[in-house]
Amino acid sequence: MNGLPLSRLCLLAARQLIRDTRAGEMRVLFFALLVAVAASTAIGYFSARLNGAMLMRATEFLGADLLLSGSSLARPEQIEAGQRLGLDHAQVVEFSSVIATDEGIQLSSVKAADDAYPLRGQLKSAPEPYQPEEPGEGPRPGEAWAEARLFAALNLKVGDTIEIGEKPLRLSRVLTYEPDRAGDFYSLTPRVLMHLDDLAATGVVQPGSRVRYKELWRGTPEALAAYREAVKPGLAANQRLEDARDGNRQIGGALGRAERYLNLASLAAVLLAGVAVALSASRFASRRFDASALLRCLGLSRREALGLYGLQLALIGLIASACGALLGWLAQYGLFYLLRDLLPADVPAGGLLPAVVGIATGLVALGGFALPPLAALGRVPPLRVLRRDVLPVPPSTWLVYGTALLALGLIMWRLSLDLPLTFALLGGGLVATLILGGGLLFGLQSLRRLLKRAALPWRLGLGQLLRHPLAAAGQSLAFGLILLAMSLIVLLRSELLDTWQDQLPENAPNHFALNVLPADKDAFAARLSEMSPHPAPLYPVVPGRLIAINGEPVKDLVSKDSRGERAIRRDLSLTWAAELPGDNRLSAGSWWNTAHASELPGVSVESELAESLKLELGDRLSFSVGGLTRDAQVTSLRDVEWDSFQPNFYMVFEPGTLQDLPATYLTSFYLPPRHERELVELARAFPAVTLLQVDALLAQLRSILTQVTLAIEYVLLFVLAAGLAVLFAGLQATLDERIRQGALLRALGAERALLVKARRAEFALLGAASGLLAALGCELISALLYRYAFDLNWQPHPWLLLLPLVGALLIGGAGVLGTRRALNASPLTVLREG
Amino acid sequence: MNQSILSARNLNKVVPSAEGELTILHDLCLELNRGDSLAIVGSSGSGKSTLLGLLAGLDVPSGGSVSLAGRDLGSLDEDQRARVRAEHVGFVFQSFQLLDSLSALENVMLPLELDGRPDARERASELLRRVGLEQRLSHYPRQLSGGEQQRVAIARAFAAEPDVLFADEPTGNLDSHTGERISDLLFELNHERGTTLVLVTHDERLAHRCHRLIRLEGGHLVDHVEP
Repeated sequence: MNGLPLSRLCLLAARQLIRDTRAGEMRVLFFALLVAVAASTAIGYFSARLNGAMLMRATEFLGADLLLSGSSLARPEQIEAGQRLGLDHAQVVEFSSVIATDEGIQLSSVKAADDAYPLRGQLKSAPEPYQPEEPGEGPRPGEAWAEARLFAALNLKVGDTIEIGEKPLRLSRVLTYEPDRAGDFYSLTPRVLMHLDDLAATGVVQPGSRVRYKELWRGTPEALAAYREAVKPGLAANQRLEDARDGNRQIGGALGRAERYLNLASLAAVLLAGVAVALSASRFASRRFDASALLRCLGLSRREALGLYGLQLALIGLIASACGALLGWLAQYGLFYLLRDLLPADVPAGGLLPAVVGIATGLVALGGFALPPLAALGRVPPLRVLRRDVLPVPPSTWLVYGTALLALGLIMWRLSLDLPLTFALLGGGLVATLILGGGLLFGLQSLRRLLKRAALPWRLGLGQLLRHPLAAAGQSLAFGLILLAMSLIVLLRSELLDTWQDQLPENAPNHFALNVLPADKDAFAARLSEMSPHPAPLYPVVPGRLIAINGEPVKDLVSKDSRGERAIRRDLSLTWAAELPGDNRLSAGSWWNTAHASELPGVSVESELAESLKLELGDRLSFSVGGLTRDAQVTSLRDVEWDSFQPNFYMVFEPGTLQDLPATYLTSFYLPPRHERELVELARAFPAVTLLQVDALLAQLRSILTQVTLAIEYVLLFVLAAGLAVLFAGLQATLDERIRQGALLRALGAERALLVKARRAEFALLGAASGLLAALGCELISALLYRYAFDLNWQPHPWLLLLPLVGALLIGGAGVLGTRRALNASPLTVLREG
Repeated sequence: MNQSILSARNLNKVVPSAEGELTILHDLCLELNRGDSLAIVGSSGSGKSTLLGLLAGLDVPSGGSVSLAGRDLGSLDEDQRARVRAEHVGFVFQSFQLLDSLSALENVMLPLELDGRPDARERASELLRRVGLEQRLSHYPRQLSGGEQQRVAIARAFAAEPDVLFADEPTGNLDSHTGERISDLLFELNHERGTTLVLVTHDERLAHRCHRLIRLEGGHLVDHVEP
């Protein structure tokens, strides 16, 4: 039989597999892989599609998928490139214009848009100021919509006519919401929206006037990418491309965390699957020791025997993975069906990638976890046909754990794409496993001494565990891993949700007040505290532009399209404060103190901007403020919660350094719904003040968080289901031995109750030990994850100490249930085995 | 000593198979008194082990009845039959069937503990001494040779002082020399303790050491000898 051709080996393997389909462990292996691939495919699809859906929400903040903006009109070839690619197009022109009536004049920011605008999201308007808004088309030619504060400032009514340049326009509605205004609500001047067709007639847009042209594009990701490629090289100095990812920070943060969480959840599912695959593959191998020895006797070489079983495993792996991918696809489809009311109708399909990745994940897990037991099969000595107690030389421990770790590492790396985090998790996990496993081994061995005096059910149940402490330690590590994965996911879910809830409490500020004059400051603050329970403090604002760092012009220092570049091309709101604003945190340097010996006034810089501008403590910054140049030295860096809806600033100066300059004040406050009347009165009492409503933005953000939360809860269910399924699969792996033992004890006259008691004792101890391991491991890993992946504050979780109890109940219950067959085994089995 | 301890009447066993129902035991009758020894012989598949299983109450017949130590096994549920086994029955198996997780001593203690005997440890040690394993008390099955394992199994079988000892090919897995010593031990203990012995075997020499011998063929009793 030397040199068995591969085709014959394949045929043999396939035939063997068909015969083996009735064997329990094949079904378990198939099931474990099915669950694993289904869970990771479903989560993969779900997060890919949900991500797509959330990104679509996020694109609303641009009003488009992709935006080409510039201070000059886009060149014809830039427009044609998009049209050739089949992208939808809309055009917007923005400029400032003074609107004059008998009541006064008001600088306004005018937007002229064509019929296609907006490409993402919807315009909303109301028939009268501060009335309920409704979505709809934009103004027709000859009409204009204005924000409520323009109506208040100039005492206008709907139906009045205003002039923009030379063109009279009738005010037909009150503009309440533009999707692409949301990210830019610090703009000071009220908005007027008009039709693009009227633009030429205004005569406002002349060569040299300050105008912003925006080309909005919408289309498939591929076409958008192609457009980006085509246009990027030819961008003029005044032009830039933006997409949703560059856009809104509030959305960005939530999306990023949700994505990491979903990835972590699928990692947990894969981990669970790995455990199940390892358990069932080792059962697959140990049940084939006899057959392998026989084949070796019949002349099969070691390599051929290995090949035969390897092919069988590969075959079952492929079939199970394909079925799993299909199942996962169906599962996520069902999930989206359940969520259809919450999600946009046109959720992107997700493509084939998640299925392929799911299958690959299953195969990598199979390879990593099943290879070592398979290798043992190759080493079964042919002598075993004569002496059944001859066992193969166990594979090297390094091989066993090395391949499993490698497989795990590969999968983790793919999911988080973050090498330090992957290594931290793997390394932390390894160290924890070694320490906890060692402790457990020691504990089990000490228990063995105690056990001599215990009652029979305990000795029967625990005898099995303690006779093979290494195997028992391995088993509790495996069950521990299941509990760990599940509790970690539960833990993260609740803390992520809490964090989001904290960020956006019910009474998060939903209005901003800008341009409060120093003379009005105290009266305004007093009025506000009557209307709103906890208004933010009033911060002084001086507009200023950063022009130089350590004497070098800032324009030469920043890279195009970076956050730093966006910050320096416009005026920043500069403020000063004696105390560190409530939700800011110092990340470097110190807040104002007397030790500050420099001649220059101190300034505290937001840390991400500082990073983008490569600022360090002690750097000298030069600002142009009201035509004057002011220098300041960086004395601290601050982390800012941009999604808190509190007034936030890039630059906070030391008190006393800007006080000589003309400043206005800024604050944010919460106004409960149906108090619009008070808002109108506030606007009338302080006509100079600009009031901005951010309800719409808040609502949008909340709806995204609701979706993410729902997704997380469903994903959690998946992980829990996978964990339980895998737990049963794992128990099945020890079923043979239990059936034999149960039957023998029955034959010897043991009653069912004794067997049940013994079983309970065994699994309860196993579960408690696993729970303890899980609690310790969970604390360790959560501390790592919070710090490096989620940017959350870590605190100990005392409730995790309940895990040993939960483990004892869960694994005890599942153990007794999963090994029911062993209790019901006919005592006749022992005769049949002989 | 003419007291009946085990009797079977019109025993039938029918099992479902792919081709319909298959009768593996036909109308078998049998009566054993205390201290008797019975060998059941026959080729593979003749129904020997099935009969043993029915007589020991490990399985229930499709027809007929088995009475063991005065109890009609057909009227008992599995737990009640387990109690009867614990009180009256011992087993020796071809593949020894020791629990890997228990030491030799603990394996022998097991039936005594199932019976709730407080002197389990002492009795088990004494029995192991009787079978010549006093040096092996704390060894685990894996650390014992085949012959030693079977001696532990015999000690376990006699531990609870059973009325009936069922032995299924007790020497089947042993070399002839060891097999000889094991069967000597089995018959010695049988005589010493007045136990009834029911033995399934291929080994004609072993079979002829029993008081009686029945031969099965295709589930029918074809020969009944009292040597």
